[in-house]
Amino acid sequence: MSEFDAVDILIVEDNPNDAELIVRALKKNNLANRLIIVEDGEQALDFIFCRGKYVSRISSQAPRVVFLDLKLPKIHGLEVLRQIKADETTSRMPVVVVTSSREDPDIRAAYQLGANSYVVKPVDFESFIKAMSDIGMYWLLINQPPA
Amino acid sequence: MKQYNEVLFHKLERKIGQLENRVRERTIQLEIANREMEAFAYSVSHDLRAPLRAIDGFSAILSGEYSGALDSEAKRLCSVIRENTQRMAQLIDDLLAFSRAGRATMGKTAIDMSMIVRTAFMDLVTPEASARIDFLILDLPQAMGDLPMFRQAWMNLLSNAIKFSSKKERAVIKVSAEETESGIVYSVEDNGAGFDMRYYDRLFGVFERLHAATEFPGTGVGLAIVKRIISRHGGRVWAASDIGKGATFFFSIPRESRKNTDTNNGGNHE
Repeated sequence: MSEFDAVDILIVEDNPNDAELIVRALKKNNLANRLIIVEDGEQALDFIFCRGKYVSRISSQAPRVVFLDLKLPKIHGLEVLRQIKADETTSRMPVVVVTSSREDPDIRAAYQLGANSYVVKPVDFESFIKAMSDIGMYWLLINQPPA
Repeated sequence: MKQYNEVLFHKLERKIGQLENRVRERTIQLEIANREMEAFAYSVSHDLRAPLRAIDGFSAILSGEYSGALDSEAKRLCSVIRENTQRMAQLIDDLLAFSRAGRATMGKTAIDMSMIVRTAFMDLVTPEASARIDFLILDLPQAMGDLPMFRQAWMNLLSNAIKFSSKKERAVIKVSAEETESGIVYSVEDNGAGFDMRYYDRLFGVFERLHAATEFPGTGVGLAIVKRIISRHGGRVWAASDIGKGATFFFSIPRESRKNTDTNNGGNHE
């Protein structure tokens, strides 16, 4: 049993400022109790597939949702998405792409690879907070997770 | 005589070959430049917005959570910071739209102009605002062109009409069209603040404004984008105004003419 087992939200975000703002937003709605932040694509995959520094994680306890930024160091977000959706044991994990990019090629590629949702991070603070807490509420409280 | 003709013919062939090579080279250079612009725009879109979000967010947190420790001047300073980040975010969006209007490959379909105009207007106004606007759309003939580009052009023209007539008690905006021999001329007329015709040649320039930001907000890219879009369709834009009384903006779309437009339908060689 490790501290990483019961994680509700896996946040994959390399920008510490954005990470801080996301956590604040989730805290406002009491959704931040069981979340973990990783700063690059490699750590995200290590966490999900229980390897590297997360080798002691129990894989059956999957995070209930992954917030995935696209422009990440080491492994690009789209590649992380591809691997999650390509593996039978993890393909049903809800992945919400949360990114600055509003560009069509990214949006198209993300949905093509099976992203459950695509959210563009607003620049405006109030909009950003609202978007993040809305997404948190939706995926943790409203949406019915896969069996 | 026959030999002379043959020599000439070969010279011509060679010349044509050289010119075709040059065209090929130029096309490759253009494609490279276009791809670099796309990468640049992509980087701008992503990398510039992130620090802006941080500046806006942390200023808001400062003035919000620490409001007890801040006097009213300190709070005003924070709001100046936030206003400027919002302005910069808008500038980034507008610059990207301007860049896209010049770069994007153009589609070509029959465009239902009436529908675009109606949808754009509904997207632009709140119910309260529309209550004081008399919006009239006359018959708008269809035209051939790129749908997203025309949407953008109409959005910009209507948004201007709405913005500049916002200070009139009753705004009157009329959208109409006229078929001419060479094509179709569409127009948007408003009864708003208008502009000074003396500065007409700055009207469609990038980042050029004819009004103070305190009078009417804006980045000065909207009309430049409209001009780019219409030019790429082989048309022209122009306007007329009576300052204080209103303005009318026109754009023409020529009848189907392969020579003038830079449509890119691939494989349509003569």
